[in-house]
Amino acid sequence: MAGPGGGSSDVQWCFSQVKGAIDDDVAEADIISTVEFNHTGELLATGDKGGRVVIFQQEPESKNQPQCRGEYNVYSTFQSHEPEFDYLKSLEIEEKINKIRWLPQKNAAQFLLSTNDKTIKLWKISERDKRPEGYNLKEEDGRYRDPNTVTTLRVPIFRPMDLMVEASPRRVFANAHTYHINSIAVNSDYETYLSADDLRINLWHLEITDRSFNIVDIKPANMEELTEVITAAEFHPNQCNTFVYSSSKGTIRMCDMRASALCDKHAKMFEEPEDPNNRSFFSEIISSISDVKFSHSGRYMMTRDYLSVKIWDLNMETRPVETYQVHEYLRSKLCSLYENDCIFDKFECCWNGNDSVVMTGSYNNFFRMFDRGYRQDVTLEASRENSKPRSVLKPRKVSTGGKRKKDEISVDSLDFNKKILHTAWHPLDNIIAVATTNNLYIFQEKLN
Amino acid sequence: IMGCAFDAQNLISISLRKIQSSRTQRGGIKLHKNLLVTYVLRNARQFYMSKNLSQTQRTHPYEDVAAVRERQEYLELTGSFTELADDFYCNFTGAESDTWHCGAHQPHGQPAEVAHQDASACAMVAPSDSDLMVSEACWSCADKSSWELPIPNTQANQKTVLDLDTHVVTTVTNGYFHSDCCAQPKQPQGAQCYAKKRKMDTSYHIVDPEFYLPDFGPVPCKRMRSEDDSHSDSEQLDSTNISNLISVLGSGGLSEFVSWQQTDLEQIFAAQTICLKHTLLTGSGWTRAIEAF
Repeated sequence: MAGPGGGSSDVQWCFSQVKGAIDDDVAEADIISTVEFNHTGELLATGDKGGRVVIFQQEPESKNQPQCRGEYNVYSTFQSHEPEFDYLKSLEIEEKINKIRWLPQKNAAQFLLSTNDKTIKLWKISERDKRPEGYNLKEEDGRYRDPNTVTTLRVPIFRPMDLMVEASPRRVFANAHTYHINSIAVNSDYETYLSADDLRINLWHLEITDRSFNIVDIKPANMEELTEVITAAEFHPNQCNTFVYSSSKGTIRMCDMRASALCDKHAKMFEEPEDPNNRSFFSEIISSISDVKFSHSGRYMMTRDYLSVKIWDLNMETRPVETYQVHEYLRSKLCSLYENDCIFDKFECCWNGNDSVVMTGSYNNFFRMFDRGYRQDVTLEASRENSKPRSVLKPRKVSTGGKRKKDEISVDSLDFNKKILHTAWHPLDNIIAVATTNNLYIFQEKLN
Repeated sequence: IMGCAFDAQNLISISLRKIQSSRTQRGGIKLHKNLLVTYVLRNARQFYMSKNLSQTQRTHPYEDVAAVRERQEYLELTGSFTELADDFYCNFTGAESDTWHCGAHQPHGQPAEVAHQDASACAMVAPSDSDLMVSEACWSCADKSSWELPIPNTQANQKTVLDLDTHVVTTVTNGYFHSDCCAQPKQPQGAQCYAKKRKMDTSYHIVDPEFYLPDFGPVPCKRMRSEDDSHSDSEQLDSTNISNLISVLGSGGLSEFVSWQQTDLEQIFAAQTICLKHTLLTGSGWTRAIEAF
C-alpha cells in the first residue's frame, strides 16, 4: 500500500542529510541523547550529552523540486541544562538531555520540555524578524540621548531585520525527583505532563512549578525489597486519564488517574511469561523494557527490550500481539555484551504516522524497520559511505549461519561502539531522523 | 570481541567491578543498572552454589590476619578500592587485629583493648567529618545486648540510614527502623546525632543516595524482619530480593571464594577484602553502613 507511511515493501529510503561533525574523534558532549519531531514535523529537536538542544526546521518545499521534501536546517541552538552539583548528596548532576517533548503549537511561538536527570524545563522558542527603530530617547545602538538634545518627536516604527530565533526558559520544574528522570510525557489535555524517575512518577501542571502530584511510587518501605524500577512512562494519546509505565522486569502497567490519586494499583498489567528455554544469567537484563510508545491511534503500544520489539493490544494483557526480533543473533553473545556494558544500552522505538511500520536501532549503525501489515522487515545503515544525496539505502544483512554471503556482515564484525539508540519518524511523511553517536541522519522516502 | 570465558566466577568478578566503577561515574550511581547487575550476581551465585552443593562445609569465612594484611597492601595501592571501602558495608565476624579496629563495639570474647578507636586504622575516615565521628561514638556506646554480636553464622546488621526524601537519619537493625538508636543517656550526643539533619562532608564519600547497598555478611539465613514475618524462609533470599546483597555476596556466597587459590580470582578477593578492611576498621559485629535512599 503506497502513500505516506506506507508499507516498507515498496518504500525505498534515500539519504537526505547528515548533521554533526565528521570527526571520528567524538567529543562526549556532542553525543546525541534524544531526538524528537514536533507535532507537524516541521521542527526536529535533538538533545546531547552536553546539555544542548539543537532545533532544525524544515524548509518549505520548493516549487522547483517538488520531488524533494524540504531540507532541515538549524533553526535554534541553546544550552538547556548545565552541570550541577548537589552538595547535600555529594552528587554531580549530569547536564545530559534525557528527553525532549514538544507541546502542540498554540500561538506563534513553539514550546518544548527538556529534561536532564533532575530538572525539567519549559522552553519558548520564538522568532523575531522585526525590530523597533526611531526611539526618541535612545540612539540606535542603545545609548540614551540627553533629553535636552531632543528637539522633535517621532513615532518609533518596526523595521524588518534578519530572522532571530530566541529560546528562553519559561518554567523550571525542579526538586521533585530524588532518582534519575527517564521520561517526560505531555498529556493530551495539553495542560499537564508527567515525569518519571526510577521509582516515582509525578504529575505537573505546565503553569505551576512549585509543586507536583506524585501519582506512582514504587519505592518499597525497605529498599532491600526493591526488585524493579520504572524505565519509561507515557500518556495515552487521547485519553487524558490514562498512562502507562514500563519496568525493568519487562512489565507494563496501565493506570487510570480517575481511580485514585495515587496510581499504585494498576488498571492493567501487560506481561509476557518468560520462555524457560531462554533462561540465562542475563534474562532479567534483556527483559528490561527500555522504551514504551503508544501508537498514534491509541489502540496499541510498543515496547522495546534488549533483543526485541513487542506490540501490545491494549485490550490484551497476557501477551503481545506481535513480536519482532531486532538482533536475535546477539542472544549467544550476551556475556560479552555484559562485559562491555552494551547489554545496558537503552534502545528507543517509534511508530510511523499511520502505525503501519515501527522502527528501532541496533549496532553497527544499523536500524531496523518492521512493516506490520506486510510482515516484512528491513535493516538499513546510517553511515557516511552511503551519504550521497538522494542515494538509495541498500538493505543490510547480518549473517548468522556458517556461510557468509557476499555483502553480508558477520556478527563478529559488528561495531558495538556504533549504536543507534534514538530514532524518530515524521508524524505525517516518510521522513526519519536517525541518531548515531554524534551525527544525525535524515532519510526520506524516494519519490518518483 | 566475542570471546569470553563464560563461567559464574568470572561473572561475579565482572559484576563486582561494575558496581565498583559505577560509584565513580558522573551523575551518581544508576539505580537501574546496578539493580540489573545484582540480578546477574544472584544468578551467577545460584548457579555456582548449585554446582557446588557437595562443598557445603563451611570453613571459617575469613583468612587469618597475616593474609588479610597482605591483601591490605594490595588495597592500599588502589585508591579507588579505599573509596569503595568507605561505601561497602559488611559485617565482620572473623579474624581481626587490634590495629584495624576502629570503633568500640566488640564481639564476644574480644579483649577490651580493641574497644578504642585506633587513629591509624581510621585514617580513611576524613577527620573533619565530625558528624560521622559522633555517630561512631554513639554506636560504640550502644548497649551490647541490643546488638547481635558477631559470631559466625549470626546476623548483626545495623545500618544508619539517611533517607534523602525526608532527610531523616535513622537506624535499621535487622530490617527494623529505630527512631532513636542511642537512647541511653550515657552516650555523648546520643539521639541528637540521628535526629538532626545530617551535614554532608563532601570530602567523605558517603554512599550515593540513589544506590542502596545493604550489608552483606556471612550469614546463611535471611535477616528476620519480625517474628511473625512470613518471609522467614531462607530460600526467599534467592528468589526476588535481589537487592539484598546478603543473599548474593554474603551468606557464604563470596566467602567461599576465599578458599580458592586461583589467581584469576584476584578481583573477587580484592572485593571481599575490601569488606574485610572496612569492617576491620569499623569494628566487629556491626556495620557503619550509611545508606541513603
